[in-house]
Amino acid sequence: MITINNLQKKFGEKKAVDIEKYIINQGEMLGLVGNNGAGKTTLFRLILDLLKADQGNVTINDIDVSQSEDWKSFTGAFIDDGFLIDYLTPEEYFYFIGKMYGLKKEEVNARIATFERFMNGEVMGQKKYIRNFSAGNKQKIGIISAMLHQPQLLILDEPFNFLDPSSQSIIKHLLKKYNEEHHATVIISSHNLNHTVDVCPRIALLEHGIIIKDIQNENNSAEKELEAYFNISVEEEIKEEDEVTQE
Amino acid sequence: MGVFWAGYLIFFGTTFAYAFAGEAIESYQVLNSGLIFVLAIDFMARFPFQKLPTQEVKPYILLPVKRDRLIDFLLIRSGLNGFNAIWLFFFVPFAIISITKFYGIAGVLTYCIGIWLIMIFNNYWFLLCRTLMGERLWWVSLPIAVYGGIAAGLFIPNKSPLFDYSIDLGESLIKGNIIAFISILVAIAIMWIINRTIMKGLVYDEINKVEDTKVKHVSEYKFLDRYGEVGEYMRLELKLLLRNKVCKQALRTVILVVVGFSLVLSFTDVYDGKGMKNFIVVYNFVIFGILFLSSLMSYEGNYIDGLMSRKESIYNLLRAKYTLYSIAILLPFILMIPAIATGKLALLTCISWAIFSIGCVYFCLFQLAVYNNKTVDLNAKMTGRRNIGGGLQNLIAGATFGVPLLLNIILNSTVGQFATSWTLIIIGSVFILSSNFWLKNVYYRFMKRRYKNMEGFRDSRQ
Repeated sequence: MITINNLQKKFGEKKAVDIEKYIINQGEMLGLVGNNGAGKTTLFRLILDLLKADQGNVTINDIDVSQSEDWKSFTGAFIDDGFLIDYLTPEEYFYFIGKMYGLKKEEVNARIATFERFMNGEVMGQKKYIRNFSAGNKQKIGIISAMLHQPQLLILDEPFNFLDPSSQSIIKHLLKKYNEEHHATVIISSHNLNHTVDVCPRIALLEHGIIIKDIQNENNSAEKELEAYFNISVEEEIKEEDEVTQE
Repeated sequence: MGVFWAGYLIFFGTTFAYAFAGEAIESYQVLNSGLIFVLAIDFMARFPFQKLPTQEVKPYILLPVKRDRLIDFLLIRSGLNGFNAIWLFFFVPFAIISITKFYGIAGVLTYCIGIWLIMIFNNYWFLLCRTLMGERLWWVSLPIAVYGGIAAGLFIPNKSPLFDYSIDLGESLIKGNIIAFISILVAIAIMWIINRTIMKGLVYDEINKVEDTKVKHVSEYKFLDRYGEVGEYMRLELKLLLRNKVCKQALRTVILVVVGFSLVLSFTDVYDGKGMKNFIVVYNFVIFGILFLSSLMSYEGNYIDGLMSRKESIYNLLRAKYTLYSIAILLPFILMIPAIATGKLALLTCISWAIFSIGCVYFCLFQLAVYNNKTVDLNAKMTGRRNIGGGLQNLIAGATFGVPLLLNIILNSTVGQFATSWTLIIIGSVFILSSNFWLKNVYYRFMKRRYKNMEGFRDSRQ
């Protein structure tokens, strides 16, 4: 499905992404984890052709994303507010997105109905523009809009952010179900290790733009490995800080 | 937007100063007799732009500063706000032209200082009315009663003394009459004390107010359904224009100015000279495009990632914009009908400029879609930081107005009005008929520059 070839992106002197070869297969559910600045969002932007790679390329179904727009018809994504047209109501936004993918209003309504529990009665029929919604509800609108046309590739950056615990639980269930029912490739990034481990059978650990570990997560086996990595990182940092203070 | 207003005011101030040349009455006397109207316009203009000190107090309320001091500070800041000086763009050129010859530079100086002080008084009068109206809507009757009373005093008697009083006040300012200045300062002080007393009691009411974000009526524009994806983008563009502060302000401004110019041209003799007539015709047709298309894609910068992650959405967006703004040309055309009916303008002239604008002018402005890469905040306040246009944007905007004006002068003086109109129609039609081709070209060039543009949009998003 997705092939990353010798992909490099620098911001000034800092390497944000540096991946030699990475393949994500059709129907896989991949979790991307890493500390702030590890390069998760940059990698997503490169996959979605929203950033220019300094070197290398990304192909989706053998289509080079920077050379053709054909991959866009079967890809859905939500990264941040820059995806939302905030002067529309959620209904208008969903119909607009639906129209872009050739969906009729009735079809959009039917698809939105499957997200009823997730929206928890706080999104539809509110007679409010998206800009006036809470961060959590904006997140829900963004996620639903990415899934509306049932894409074969779904990319979500930090989907659990701003969501209340119930909504986090529902979206985990929805994503799993979506992956299974549509045999779609789903890629999410998250700081929440528990959620990532719960949802993703494969996890890529990113550090300074490099995938340092590609973990097969069978029966939540990745949990300990990830916890060890992140705890050690923190411990190392504290130790370094202490040494500096002592000096 | 501020630059536009300043430009208009300089233009009006200059033309008004010359409007009564050769008449028995001097233009500054005419203006002075109507000072109350200027104050009324200023009062109305403040509604969309000005915030109340009680609305601004929130970020400071937890600071270790007394509430009285805080209100004093915010009232002083409001008095010294640049908005109170914007009328000087009108009065300074006006005074230089019409007053210098009688009273010298000193007269201009004292007159302008006096006008500025009167505007400060008007500022506090506005704050008082607005604060009270925020509490109870029926307080709207206060400014209505005051302005209605003044209007009645001006127009009901055969010879109203209020006009003379207004002229005397203006003359006193020009002559630097100390009593006139002290009177204005006392009036400001009284208004200050009233504002201060009222605001002190209302600070917490204002803080506790919850903004009602419910939309009362959601427009569907169902007639656009039949136009497919392009219709959907036209719907989006209409909503962009009507639901965001910056676009609404621009729309109001342009309609106000076009209506004003059209009415003056149709029903007065002020702009009957050939040069001015041509200027107004070109201006009225071109201004729509300049105001909205010179920032092409900059509004979309707010959600460019969403657009770019969908196939060919930018091409459809460009086509929708072109169609919509081509239809919008009907607005200045309709507004020019009175001028056509009164015989001030030829129908063919108006048709030719409408076609030329849709064709040639829009072609030039659409090139900016390739190069604009700064996001414009759709709901920025007048006083907020704005991403104003770059050099190329200003150059193209200036050229799209200046070049047609020049072309009109050259053609008119060489081949005459009739042939000029047909030349403009032919040029415009060529660009209209080839619009699909050049819009596609703009789209391809945009896509070539997409990384640079997207980076710019992202970096300038607020």
